[in-house]
Amino acid sequence: MEAASTNRNIRKEIHKKLQDNIMRDALSRFAAQYPDARLHAYDNVESIEALRDDLRDMKRYTVDHIATIADTFESSVRERGAEFYRAADGKAVKEYLMKICEENNVHRIVKSKSMATEEIHLNQYLKEKGLHVRETDLGEWMLSVAGQRPSHMVMPAIHLNRQQCAKFFSQELKEDIPSDIPFMIQTARRVLRKEFLSADMGITGANFGIAENGAIGLVTNEGNARLVTTTPRIHVIIIGYEKLIPKIEDAAKILRLLPRNGTCQRMTSYMTMVDGPTPVMYKKDGKWIEEPRKVYVILLDNGRLKAANDPKLKEVYQCVRCASCLNVCPIWTLVGGHVYGHIYSGGIGAILTGLLNGLDDFSKFSDLCIGCRKCVTICPGKIHIPDLIDELRARNIKQNGLPLPEKAVFQNILTNRKIFHALLRIGSIGQKPVQSGKFIRHLPLFFSGMTKDRSLPAIAAEPFRDRTKKLFQKNPDKPVCKVAFFSGCNLDFVFPETGESVVKVLQDLNIEVSYPQEQSCCGKPVLGIGDRETAKKIAQQNIEAFEKSSADIILAACPTCAETLRKTYCELFADDTIWGPRAEAFSRKVHEFTSFVADAYKRAGRLAPTAGTHKITYHDSCHIKRGLGIYKEPRALLEAADGTQFVEMENSDKCCGMAGAFGVKYSEISLPILKEKIDHIKNTGAKTVAVACPACMMQLRGGLDQQAPDIKVKHIADILAEHLH
Amino acid sequence: MEKVCKDWVAEAFDSSLVNACHWKEFAQNAKTASAEILHVQNFTEATATVSEIIHSLKAKTVIAVGGDENPALQNLYKSISSPSINVCTDKFDIAENAPTADLGISTAEFGIGETGSVCVDTYSYEARLVGMLPPVHIVFLNASHIVENITTAFQVISRVFHKGHMGFITGPSRTADIERVLSLGVHGPSRFIIIAIENNPEGRLH
Repeated sequence: MEAASTNRNIRKEIHKKLQDNIMRDALSRFAAQYPDARLHAYDNVESIEALRDDLRDMKRYTVDHIATIADTFESSVRERGAEFYRAADGKAVKEYLMKICEENNVHRIVKSKSMATEEIHLNQYLKEKGLHVRETDLGEWMLSVAGQRPSHMVMPAIHLNRQQCAKFFSQELKEDIPSDIPFMIQTARRVLRKEFLSADMGITGANFGIAENGAIGLVTNEGNARLVTTTPRIHVIIIGYEKLIPKIEDAAKILRLLPRNGTCQRMTSYMTMVDGPTPVMYKKDGKWIEEPRKVYVILLDNGRLKAANDPKLKEVYQCVRCASCLNVCPIWTLVGGHVYGHIYSGGIGAILTGLLNGLDDFSKFSDLCIGCRKCVTICPGKIHIPDLIDELRARNIKQNGLPLPEKAVFQNILTNRKIFHALLRIGSIGQKPVQSGKFIRHLPLFFSGMTKDRSLPAIAAEPFRDRTKKLFQKNPDKPVCKVAFFSGCNLDFVFPETGESVVKVLQDLNIEVSYPQEQSCCGKPVLGIGDRETAKKIAQQNIEAFEKSSADIILAACPTCAETLRKTYCELFADDTIWGPRAEAFSRKVHEFTSFVADAYKRAGRLAPTAGTHKITYHDSCHIKRGLGIYKEPRALLEAADGTQFVEMENSDKCCGMAGAFGVKYSEISLPILKEKIDHIKNTGAKTVAVACPACMMQLRGGLDQQAPDIKVKHIADILAEHLH
Repeated sequence: MEKVCKDWVAEAFDSSLVNACHWKEFAQNAKTASAEILHVQNFTEATATVSEIIHSLKAKTVIAVGGDENPALQNLYKSISSPSINVCTDKFDIAENAPTADLGISTAEFGIGETGSVCVDTYSYEARLVGMLPPVHIVFLNASHIVENITTAFQVISRVFHKGHMGFITGPSRTADIERVLSLGVHGPSRFIIIAIENNPEGRLH
């Protein structure tokens, strides 16, 4: 088995995967087909949301009562005559299993796929002990022959093509196997059939374990789990605590979602439930005999109980291992599962690795979540995967500290607005962060040397904050309300003209605009790498700055800033009796620009669609669509703008690849994501692509500048300002 | 033959849950899952249908369960057996012949509209063999025994599932592990045939 090295060079691994055209073709085809295929499977249910809520609620209840539910499961299993064993970790599983093998004279074992046994590297151990062990899921079998790890929980061999598979077949069977898929399938059937019929023991995992009656459920398409639970005279079930459910009827809550999300099927070919010993027949001394099968249930902890008692991380119990979070992940669909380095890949994989292996392993690839939250919108258990990753990042920083360059920048510069802004003005900040690569969405200087396929803007000669005095001379005499503008670093130092557009649009609505000069970065960049202490200091400065203003509304034209101010500040100070209420009062005033203006336009009768000829399309930023839930308002504004014809692009809400530090540190991943976005923009025939997020604007401008210079990228504020009379 | 429930109709069914009105959706979803559906009025008519299948498969060995519980089915098994067609219904005979059998026949308790699945009671070892080892699997299903969805299926199941082995079958065995190309019959049968009995006055298959 190819094991994850402790001294990993993840960039090198990523580089290698990006050169693997076979894998990249397979993944991009799959990523393109998956979303519609999944929705099609749900066509005949009334509400996907209701099903997801049911599953989440049931799983939440379970984790909150895990000790008693595990006890009930244990007594149900024992009452029915199966053996039951609680294993603290992989070592305990292995020792217990060897005892069973010795007592029962077991030589040959068939397995049906079980992530829990992958997690504890069971196969390797059993082989070392001289046992004959065979994986029976076709993909898993091929990979075990090839000495590779699965790259996906549901489609383990998705990174391989038929020629590569044929090579592994030929290697294992020592005969020449052509790369004909039906032939390979029939060969696997023939070879593995012998294994099923000659095995003494079957080992399975479980998709669920029912406390009420002690049954476990297995979901497969090939039927291998059904055979593993049929032919051998011994059945060993290795099940993690997170798979337990209270009642028989609760199984339906998993089964209505798992196949649909996992494989876009309404149900897999086989759903098998095993509950206690059932009859098995085998030949003894040439004569068929029938006797009760021996069944052993091993309930595996390996970090799971600790997670169950963790107020934040217990959310992972809502995972049903459908792997759909991988299927929509912009990173996984580009680099595949192997770069995550452990058994569980993708966003949920990072979390599980953090829980099961520890924060050190987690920290090596925790960057590979860009926080786009696409996974959150489809996860059957409604797990907030990026938030849990953020939580683990924060714990990692708390435990292991920040790397030195970040520490210097974050703690000494970002917490001191005057120094920070002075450095921005002279454009001297950033050398170190760029080298270490852990810096910031909002700061443009770090992009030097990154001009291949993407050009990056320079710091504006005059920041927005220096232009406000002149701008505010045009404030209305009798305003309808007062808005304090939070610019964020990008609109302040990179796109001050867009900041000016914001002011003009607001003034046109008869609104008085102010700009508290003490405001600083929103803090998202430091939150992104888990430095919550620095983020708190920055938040306090911003809250104080805006408390001094008499404005009714605090408005941000950067959705990332808006979300941070509105949601994250309250979370940061949730346990703080002084700053908690101040953050609450502050956050209640925070609005995002497009939704605020759309609302005002609607009330003024200015939101009626117009018929124009200038084609314009719109890119949803991750934070505005999935963070703030705003996506209708920007479109309404564009449709109402004079002379425009609004057109949708494909995958309008897929991340543009910027994602703060990510776009810089992993430009090799960011650029292909950007290229796909630009292709979708070009396909619309639009002359303008509108955004509501300055960071997306930076990324898209950079890409279009190089790849389609005739298409303009504009913030909606700029488009609205152009249309003012 | 041992079962999770000896009499699903009496002990598990409830007319508000199990109803022929879900047939159309069941059939549609089952076909989408590559199951074949044949309609017959009764077991007499089913005999001819099964004989045709045996003929087209050139089947020599058939393994079949459910006859002990249902005289009509027992008659069917007797009718299809001939000097050239060995129909095994004894459990040890089934075990002996399963690896080389051409066809397996069993019964399903009910169908599920939402998914096109059939619920099978496979407590006994031989019931599992007939559904998994031969390349073709036929199940008999009472056409009026259909539940609306997975939730209602588990309401039915929870009344009787105290111990044993049971589950759903939805079409034939399949894999897409190589290049995501769908292939049927990897470990289990490549053909899954549902014979729906339309007119079954006693309401039971067994």
